Amino acid sequence: MYQQIVDQITARVMAGDWSPGQSLPSIRELAAGSQVSVITVRRAYEELERAGVICTRPGKGSVVAERSSLPTTLMKDELMRHLEALLASAARLGLDKQSLSRLIEQAIESAADIPSAADNPQGNER
Amino acid sequence: MTNNASIIRLLVAKDWQLFQKQLALYVLAGIVALCLLALAKPWAFYLGSLMLIVVVVAAACFSISASLMVERKEHTLAFVMSLPVSPWDFTIAKLLGNLVTFGVPFLVLCLGTLGTVLFTPLPDGLFVYALLIFGYVLFAYSVALSIAMTVESEGWNTFAMIGSMVLINPFIMGLAQIDAISSQIEQDAIVWSTPAVAILLTQVILSVAVLGFTVWHHARKPAFY
Amino acid sequence: MTAAFSLSGIAKRYPHFALQDISLQLPEGQIMGLVGVNGAGKTTLLRLLTGLAAPDAGEVQVLGHRLPEEQVAAKRDIGFASEDMRLYRSQTLRWHMTLVQRIFPAWDETYADELLRRFDLRAEQAVGGFSHGQRVKALLLLCLARRPRLLLLDEPTTGLDPVARIEVLEALSDVLRDEQRSVLFSSHNTHDVEQLADTITFLHNGRLVDSADKESFLDRWRRVVCQGTAPADLQQWPELASVRNSGSLVEIKARHWNEQLPDRLASLGLQVQRVDSMALEDIFVTAVRSGAVA
Repeated sequence: MYQQIVDQITARVMAGDWSPGQSLPSIRELAAGSQVSVITVRRAYEELERAGVICTRPGKGSVVAERSSLPTTLMKDELMRHLEALLASAARLGLDKQSLSRLIEQAIESAADIPSAADNPQGNER
Repeated sequence: MTNNASIIRLLVAKDWQLFQKQLALYVLAGIVALCLLALAKPWAFYLGSLMLIVVVVAAACFSISASLMVERKEHTLAFVMSLPVSPWDFTIAKLLGNLVTFGVPFLVLCLGTLGTVLFTPLPDGLFVYALLIFGYVLFAYSVALSIAMTVESEGWNTFAMIGSMVLINPFIMGLAQIDAISSQIEQDAIVWSTPAVAILLTQVILSVAVLGFTVWHHARKPAFY
Repeated sequence: MTAAFSLSGIAKRYPHFALQDISLQLPEGQIMGLVGVNGAGKTTLLRLLTGLAAPDAGEVQVLGHRLPEEQVAAKRDIGFASEDMRLYRSQTLRWHMTLVQRIFPAWDETYADELLRRFDLRAEQAVGGFSHGQRVKALLLLCLARRPRLLLLDEPTTGLDPVARIEVLEALSDVLRDEQRSVLFSSHNTHDVEQLADTITFLHNGRLVDSADKESFLDRWRRVVCQGTAPADLQQWPELASVRNSGSLVEIKARHWNEQLPDRLASLGLQVQRVDSMALEDIFVTAVRSGAVA
């Protein structure tokens, strides 16, 4: 249940709705507003802090973390999670490396919104 | 034992508000009965006196049943007990509430009857006789009220209520057997014979004793359940 | 920590039922959900907390007052609404509101009117004409509008239609804003408890089965699906609540999940395929069926 809150807040930050440095609602306010228990919100905030999405200052509440690349980092984390899930599914199917690569290449070829490296010098990072 | 005076007052007022309409009807019926009595004709007398007794007894039963038994059955008891009252406060409030909601019509009809006896062609000897009958109703009421306050079973309460009231018949017949009283009924004078005084005093004292004992018994309960 | 209430060593005996050895506490500012089957003792527990019943053994302290001796003082700050509570059918809701307002000085008329609107109740209507849902909401309104420090609610959402249920949950979560106000509510509806409660207490057969904060419940219980056949004595492991063979798979519900469990299962020839957390409803049913004692 706390995961839902983590995801919601993460999504807002990724989309740029909440800018770095912006204050988040207090734990009690968010709990009351979304009809969730305080303990759930508290845990969600702890997770977000651990993931580096927010910073909690004692006595001053929580704010969105001050990293300008935060949305990008979060999105990259999401991409890695998807990749791991992809690999796990492939393992269950019993695919070998060549078949998997072929599948992925076919998918990339037919994907319209992924440019090739030549057109996107900044996109290729490790 | 501290009395939560303001809340008790509110609870008594609540019972009064809840039942005043019905009790007003009883009083109205009682007044009709008194009018019949005032005609001072044999048929009107029998009809009127019967009606009067029925009305007074019914009012007593209604008062106890509505304030206690129905509250239990309708579960409004839980609502009252969730208010800041102790079992003692509740007992006092119920007692006072009942005394007020029944006592007022009872007094009205009692005084009305006595007045009818005195100020109409009816023989004044009826004064003592009527008083003794009202005295019996008071006693039966105290017993039934005490039982209702103590026992939760609806069956036992109903039995006690109706039983004590129905015994009014043997009581009236018993009165007729006592020469000192029955001989005075037809006379046009108020005569306080010794048996009459004794019976009346016994009725009043027993009523107070029964109610007093019940209240004392309830005072020792720490909680409702 | 200020405790909203604390029970220690409580026992209460009735002819056909007994509550035994209950020790429980609720810190101020928290919401506790009380879960149990019918007849588990939830209503009795609530009665002990409102001072309506006196324990046969043990001590009851609510908001710093000893019950049932100081029940009058305690009830001034307690709002109690139970499923079997009724209002006076011939009177209007407004009549009841006036009655309660006269008794409790903390009554907030503005808030009461707001609740009337949110709950969609007509104050001038005789209570006898209310539907079940309207009655429940009316009782809740009479409690909430005086802003009591402790709310004790017996089945507040049971039997309510979905709209009414949301209205009640929203009103209850408003209480959360004040960190000095606490709530204990009993419910069959594990979804409500899972959503709103900070602490969860399981009651069964008059005994306290378990009481812990919600997250540790949800962390401790896991549903594990393994490949293989379970040996007969697997059921005896204390960490496991139930073991079920289903074809070539084994479904295990663990009440104390830890990282070593997959390895220990592997040593018995059971390959863990997936591990999922369990919803509170599942936890509750499994706990009761397995006769769980934490």
